[in-house]
Amino acid sequence: MNVIQAVKMYITKMTEESGPGMKVILMDKETTSIISMVFSQSEILQKEVYLFERIDSQTKWDNLKHMKCIVFLRPTSENIALLSRELRHPKYGVYFIYFSNVISKSDVKTLAECDEQEAVREVQEVFADYLAIDRHLFSFSITGCLHGRMWSQQHLHRCAQGLVALLLSLKRRAAVRYEAASEPCARLAERVRDLLRREAVLIDNNIPFNGDVPTPQLLIIDRRDDPVTPLLNQWLYQAMVHEILGINNNRVSLAHLPDVHKDFKEVVLASDQDEFYAKNLYSNFGEIGQTMKSLMDEFQRKAKSHQKVESIADMKNFVETYPLFKKMSGTVTKHVTVVGELSAAVSRRHLLDVSELEQELACHADHARHLQRLKGLISNESVTDHDACKLVSLYALRYEKHASNALPSLVDALKARNCPEHLVKAVVNILEYGGAHARQSDLFGLQDAAKITKRLFKGLNGVENVYTQHTPLLKDTLEDLIKGKLRENLYPTLGGDDGYGRRPQDIIVFIVGGATYEEAYCVHQINQAYPGVKVVLGGTTIHNSTSFLEEVKSAMQGVHRTHTRHIKNV
Amino acid sequence: MAAANEDEILEGFLCPICKADLKSASQLTSHFESLHQEEQDVLKSLKDIFGKAKKIILNNDDTDLKEAFDKALKFNYQEEAYYSQEQVVGVSRSSMDYFKAVRSARLERYATETNKLLIRLDKLVCNMPTEPNQRKQFEQQIVPWLDGSSVKLCPNCAKAFNITRRKHHCRLCGSILCHDCSLFLDLNIARAIVDPSAPISTEEQDQESLEKNGLRLCEHCYNLVELRKQVQDSRNAKTVVMTAYEQMRSLMEQARPAVAMYEKMCQSLFDGETTYNLSDVNAMRGRIGKLAEGIDLLSKQIAAHPVTPGTRQARLHSAIRQAAAHYIKEDLLSLRKLPTEAQIEDVRRQRYERAERQIQLERRRLEAEGLRANETASSSGVSVAERVHDDDDDPLLEQMNIIRGYIKEARKELRFEEVAILEANLKELKKEYQFQKLSNKP
Repeated sequence: MNVIQAVKMYITKMTEESGPGMKVILMDKETTSIISMVFSQSEILQKEVYLFERIDSQTKWDNLKHMKCIVFLRPTSENIALLSRELRHPKYGVYFIYFSNVISKSDVKTLAECDEQEAVREVQEVFADYLAIDRHLFSFSITGCLHGRMWSQQHLHRCAQGLVALLLSLKRRAAVRYEAASEPCARLAERVRDLLRREAVLIDNNIPFNGDVPTPQLLIIDRRDDPVTPLLNQWLYQAMVHEILGINNNRVSLAHLPDVHKDFKEVVLASDQDEFYAKNLYSNFGEIGQTMKSLMDEFQRKAKSHQKVESIADMKNFVETYPLFKKMSGTVTKHVTVVGELSAAVSRRHLLDVSELEQELACHADHARHLQRLKGLISNESVTDHDACKLVSLYALRYEKHASNALPSLVDALKARNCPEHLVKAVVNILEYGGAHARQSDLFGLQDAAKITKRLFKGLNGVENVYTQHTPLLKDTLEDLIKGKLRENLYPTLGGDDGYGRRPQDIIVFIVGGATYEEAYCVHQINQAYPGVKVVLGGTTIHNSTSFLEEVKSAMQGVHRTHTRHIKNV
Repeated sequence: MAAANEDEILEGFLCPICKADLKSASQLTSHFESLHQEEQDVLKSLKDIFGKAKKIILNNDDTDLKEAFDKALKFNYQEEAYYSQEQVVGVSRSSMDYFKAVRSARLERYATETNKLLIRLDKLVCNMPTEPNQRKQFEQQIVPWLDGSSVKLCPNCAKAFNITRRKHHCRLCGSILCHDCSLFLDLNIARAIVDPSAPISTEEQDQESLEKNGLRLCEHCYNLVELRKQVQDSRNAKTVVMTAYEQMRSLMEQARPAVAMYEKMCQSLFDGETTYNLSDVNAMRGRIGKLAEGIDLLSKQIAAHPVTPGTRQARLHSAIRQAAAHYIKEDLLSLRKLPTEAQIEDVRRQRYERAERQIQLERRRLEAEGLRANETASSSGVSVAERVHDDDDDPLLEQMNIIRGYIKEARKELRFEEVAILEANLKELKKEYQFQKLSNKP
């Protein structure tokens, strides 16, 4: 269950089926991202694909009849119209058409009727219809999937299609489970089931029913159950880069930095193409620093030894080691730039202090002390408005039902430091979005006796690292699921539980409202801790706190405040 | 010993695998049976040791830099193993059958119509009289023109016909249309469509002379004919760039197995085997270099092909060049460094020493076991070696000599796969030969 591999295999299949010859690939906006997530340009050039074109580009191009055209599109009606136009006046010799999802018969007919020059050699559905971010992580890159707490129809359809494509690309027949308390989860689960039913023949023909292993499960859960995780500052490399700099389709923009080298205006961070990144995704900030240092030392030693190039043999030696040398120096320089920027942000924004309190708020209850420290940080000028608002939101979630809840006065304090209006509103929005009334699980571990003792033990053992105490709720949910203890009344199976899917080995979790890199790490840990169990995580998007605030804003648009009416000063 | 290899001559009851001196035929057989059943294991352990030796010899920057890299990154092999499960390509479904069915049903209709038009076009252009008056008569004779008396409006633009807007006829289907709706087909192009082998005069005609000389067609007929022409064009399009590209690809195809072969040969040298000589491997390296040069040259040729800058053609050419350069750099020029003569000597010596040690070990073992010392064996061991010279007419020897000839030839032509196979055959023959000698012995 490697999603990157699955997409790669599809693309490779496309380039191979068209045989030898110069190729151009024709894509739409989304399929461009799908491909660029898994292939670097030089990699795809080696597959004889030399040109990359967008089907919606308005430019009038010259004819290239000697080229083979691989068309890779999502099956939307606009794309069908654009492709029909292309086929009526073909610019390339032959066409191999691939759709990233199920295409209707009538659309095939429309295309066939346009192909008057008999240029089309292949029309196929392949199911690479999601962004593969990591081997166990995918997303659909939709921020703001809910409007007024309900699905926008277009996004609902996109997610359902994408999930069906995922199952088909991994060749899994899955039982669909969903979070009972969440309306959007139920809607999505039903839609997925409907699409799967429609493709029953395809599935029966291609995915043999295997009675020897437990049925794989697709678990659909709601972000509202855990609004805390996306609010926290992160210290693992990947998550931290996303929180502080923002990762978009594996790309990080550093263009805003004053003295950045022109090669690093935009850097690509893809675990598949960058060994250093792949191995340090989940290293924490301190470890990364260490690793960097040792690499640099080694490097300087090497560079020094190469400086005395005296004889011909020395020179030859240098040239022959050059490719590796250059490759490594490129990678290392890139990461040094990124880490340098991270560490600047950490000191500028007092992130160590902020993060410590965030973790405390997320993991422990100590109202008086937390309130005092929170007030201290809000009055600190160096703490950004964004971070202050996140802290207040965490406080609001943690002490929602606390007797001496001081949220109104904190809101006043936010206003006193001239915090922008939308950020102040965000606090209330988050409480409305993911407050106690909206959560089905015991996020802060207040009721469950077992969890309280677990927390106590944790406390007794002492905390290894104050900045990484928090573990996402997802971990508990997944562990319950793997052990077969996830309660059927809270997470019902569509079509009823046949008792067969207990203790599943292949699990796909999808979070409506977006996943986070911290959760990706937690899935990674589970994959390693439970041999035989393979979990793939997906989300409508991958959040950092900024995009999460947008998500919440969109979800709460036009919703009347029902649980936060007592906060009068917003 | 005629059959011995070129490097050194061992004598006695040699085990063909470990080269141990076994003193007598029976001991050799028992030794062979007991020890070399697990031949693979022995070979493997040997390889391990040589692998280590190789590392020490090769102690160059590549390896320790890489090691430092891996160490610094705490490479977790377990984790890799977890993810490297095999995965099959996902589900896909082809709709080509349905697509074809729809398309051919539609095209059939078009095809008959196009064919009809083409036959008419053929008749029209072949015997076209030059006189304008005769031309009109001739055209009407081939395609009956529609009677226009009852047509008041142009069927295409629905404007009324009058003194200024005259009625015209499509020369291919005979239908009525106004001048504004007419399209004109250049006669030269028409000829080219009918007979693709005819030379095409490339002179451009201005609109006026085109209207005078060209064939007046309705939009429908024009499109059908034009379509036909495009299909024809695309079939015949093959440019200089195309041929250069094809050549380049075929060189790349050749380079792939060559690189694999080179790696294999290199490894074999490092392992101290004697299948290939250093000169062989050097020749192979030279050949890869030649291929790289060829690819480089062709790709430069493509990139230098004159095109208008900013077009896709230009982008295509530079992309091809980029891909070729990347391929050469990554796959062809990053070949492993060859060992020097001295290094090879070193590895071979170590291999020999190991064999020697093995012999010592065997001897000691024999002594320890207190087996009866077999004088006849040791003396006959020598006699075997001597007697080898006597019978050159042995069919096996003849066979071996033939194979040696083949090997020489294959080397000359750089067909190293064959060399490897032949060398293996030769070894087998040698083995067989030695066995025969042993069993022939009284």
